[in-house]
Formats: sequence, C-alpha cells, structure tokens
Amino acid sequence: MKNGIKIIFIIALSILSGNTGFSQAKKPTLMVVPSDVWCTKNGYMADFDNQGTKFKIPDYKKAFQENSDLLLAVSKINELMAERGFPLKNLESSLKSLQDQAAEDAMLTSKSGADINETPIDVLKKVARADIWIQMTWTVNQTGPKKSITFVLQGLDAYTDKQVAGASGTGTPSFTAEFPVLLEEAVISHIDNFNAQLVKHFDDLFANGREVILRIKTFSSFSGDLESEYGGEELGTIIEDWLAANTVQGRFGTTDATESMMLFEQVRIPLYDANGRAVDARSWARGLQKMLKDKYQIDSKLMMKGLGQAQLVIGEK
Amino acid sequence: MKTVVKTCSLAILIMLGFSITASAQAGRKADKDTKTWRYEIEGVGIGIQGTYLVKVWSYSKKPDVALDQAKKNAVHGIVFKGFSGRPGMPGQRALASNPFVEQERADFFKKFFADRGPYMKFVYESGDGSVAAEDRMKVAKEYKIGVIVSVNVAALRQYLEDEGVIKGLASGF
Repeated sequence: MKNGIKIIFIIALSILSGNTGFSQAKKPTLMVVPSDVWCTKNGYMADFDNQGTKFKIPDYKKAFQENSDLLLAVSKINELMAERGFPLKNLESSLKSLQDQAAEDAMLTSKSGADINETPIDVLKKVARADIWIQMTWTVNQTGPKKSITFVLQGLDAYTDKQVAGASGTGTPSFTAEFPVLLEEAVISHIDNFNAQLVKHFDDLFANGREVILRIKTFSSFSGDLESEYGGEELGTIIEDWLAANTVQGRFGTTDATESMMLFEQVRIPLYDANGRAVDARSWARGLQKMLKDKYQIDSKLMMKGLGQAQLVIGEK
Repeated sequence: MKTVVKTCSLAILIMLGFSITASAQAGRKADKDTKTWRYEIEGVGIGIQGTYLVKVWSYSKKPDVALDQAKKNAVHGIVFKGFSGRPGMPGQRALASNPFVEQERADFFKKFFADRGPYMKFVYESGDGSVAAEDRMKVAKEYKIGVIVSVNVAALRQYLEDEGVIKGLASGF
C-alpha cells in the first residue's frame, strides 16, 4: 500500500516538474496591415505635422471603416492563418482597444482625485504593435473588359526591418469574375507559399536564436561615458564582452559605437535561459543591466519594444 | 474429349496467371517510378480553399495502371516535390521542408503510400476519370497519361503534422 502511494507521488511529481521545467518559446505576434502604397492609391493617408515637418501617415482606421475589400482580404488571411494554428492579431480590433483604453485612462482617477501616470514615452508607444507585420498590397489591372489582380504579401520583422517571408504574383485575367472573388482567389493561392517561408524563418529562429537589436545610451547625468575605464577596460568593451558571452555562438554586430551610444544589430539571443524559461530581448538585456550594477555599481534604465528590441540607458533608473 | 478440356483449362489458368503477374509487375514498376520521382506534376488551377488542383503525368505500359498511379503521384508530388505554376497561377512548395524526411520516416511513408493506403483519403479525381485524347500519349513502349486530380492539402498537411512528419507553423511556440 505504502509502495503504491509512493509510486503515485513520484509520478505526480515528475509530471509537475515536467510542466514547470519546460516552457515554450515566446510566440511572435503577427498582424496584417495594408501597405503605404495601397493606402496612398486608395486615399487613406492623413497629414501629420511633426514639429513643423509635414508628412503623410496611413489612416488605418478610415481604411477599415470605408473599404470592405480590405476587410475581406484581412479576414481571409486571418482565417487561413488561424486554420494553421497561428491566429493573428487583428489591426482593426487593436485600434479600437487603443481608443477605448485612451478614453478610459482619461477618465480614470483615484478616490483622492489622482490621475494615472503617463510619461511622454508611454504616449508615444501607444500604437498598434506586432512582432511581424504582414504587409499587403493589391492593384487591379484592367485590359479592355478583362480584370486581374496583382497581389503582394510581405512579412516584415518589426525589429530588424528584414523581410522574413513574401509571396507575390498576378492572377489570371477574367471577364466575368467579380472583384472580391479575384481578391479571395489571390489570397488563397499565395498564403501557402508565404507560410512556407515563415516556417523557414521560425526554423532559423529555433536553430540560431532570436535576432534582436540592442541600443545602449547614456543619460546626461551619468558621470562617465562608454570610454570610461572600469578595472582597466573601457565600458564599451565590457558590454561587448558580455554580448559575446551571452549570444548564440557569440553572434552579434556592432553597427555603431561612440562615447555616448552603441548600437548592436543581428544579435542572436537564445530562446531559453539556463532555467529553461523563454527569453525575449528585455529579459535577456536584464542580464547586462544586472552585471553592470553588481560588478561596477552602474545604474541603468531598461526599456523594451516588443520581443526584439531593447534599450539600456546608462546613468540612472 | 476430357484431355482437350483439361488442356484448355490449363491454358486459361496459365494465361490468367500471366495476366495477373503482368498487372502486378506493372503496379510494382509504377510504385518504383513514384519513388524515383518519375512523374510530372503541374498546377492547373486554383481549387476551392484548402485544395490544390494538379495535373499529374504518369508512365506505364498499361494505361489503367498509369491512371491509378496518378493519385499516388499527386500526393507524393505535393508532399515532396511541390509544383510549378503557370501564368496567373503560382506554383506551390513541397509540404515537407526537410529534404531527407522520406528516408528518415521510411516506415511511415511505406504504409502511407501502400496500395489503397491512407493517402487515398486526401485525393480524388477531378471529373469522371476520363482522360482527354491529348493527355494520353504513347512514348516508346509505354503510355504517358495526364490526369487532373484534386488534393485536399489542408487535411493532408494536418495529418502529416499530427503524425509528426512535418512541422506546423506554430510548432515550438
């Protein structure tokens, strides 16, 4: 009897430890968005005045409210991706959530009448986010009574700005088919090739680590700079040494380095830490922050942008 | 008289035996052709969502064997080879991105591509199975026959993912 209880206890323990000891890699979020070219051609651009410099930005909200073809294409892609076990984040819903959240924040006060804290950076970061943007463009070609669609799908990594997947082509010209049918056909015929490239990108991610960007900056209040020496080594070199030791096969590139900033690109970070926990750019860069504090008593502020970009500002929190 | 009947029966039996053996041999030869990629596959149109409509050209001395083999070749081609497109219709990549998966999972594929094996669940002939005159050619001593088949690629992919043969889009996350 006692042996039976022991066996059950051991089995339960092993199941529990299996569940907690293994965690899966952080899943990137994907979102379909119409390209700037499509927005310009269809009149969905808005003027934006950035401190005197005027430029145009896509007005996604207007596009979703007015263009039913866009809704069809986005919905079809979302449906096909969900079928493959990879549901996408919906841009229209994200925009609505942001709007609702902003309205809620504006009304939110404590019992004593205090507002919620919001830094200028927080305000700037209030935009729809995804780790990979699926940028979509289509143009209608007309030759006499025949119509065809040229369709372009690009998977863009939000942090490295690399195109990680793509599919494009022009459909068969048709006399009779209605435009939404041609559009649906274009999505169906291109999505598998697009996904095949996405799978390859994920394979590379599992084999060589997640590719991230790390920015190092310094606050003006910092007494030294990145050329200041600590224990006979320049701070910049200490940071590079840490990167070499904490990246997959020491893979990273120092794109820019001055006394006040450093930019590291193509940094390959492991997907899991030593404890088997999933890692993103922020949790990985926290190791650098901790090392600077513990070893050299240097304070720093760590900020993130999604799974793939981290910024460490040295000097204070 | 009895001797004549006996001789005739024996002759018929021998002829039947030869015919069955020849047919089995043709089937084995067709399977060998599939394994050595001796078939051609091309996209012919965009099927309904989740399906590929392809034309498969198979070779055999017996037209019936080539017709039967078309379904197996279509599934084989979609899993391992992919197919080229034509103007207005993009080609598609193979479902298996690992080029060695056929050898690595040889036991699975032996059962999968067995006669009337599980592959049959994912493929069906388009139309009534008749072959257009221009799709039936005599090349040297054998026939080259083109058949249009529809493959339920969404279900096929799901089956191969569930069996751990190919990786899903969300595998590992």
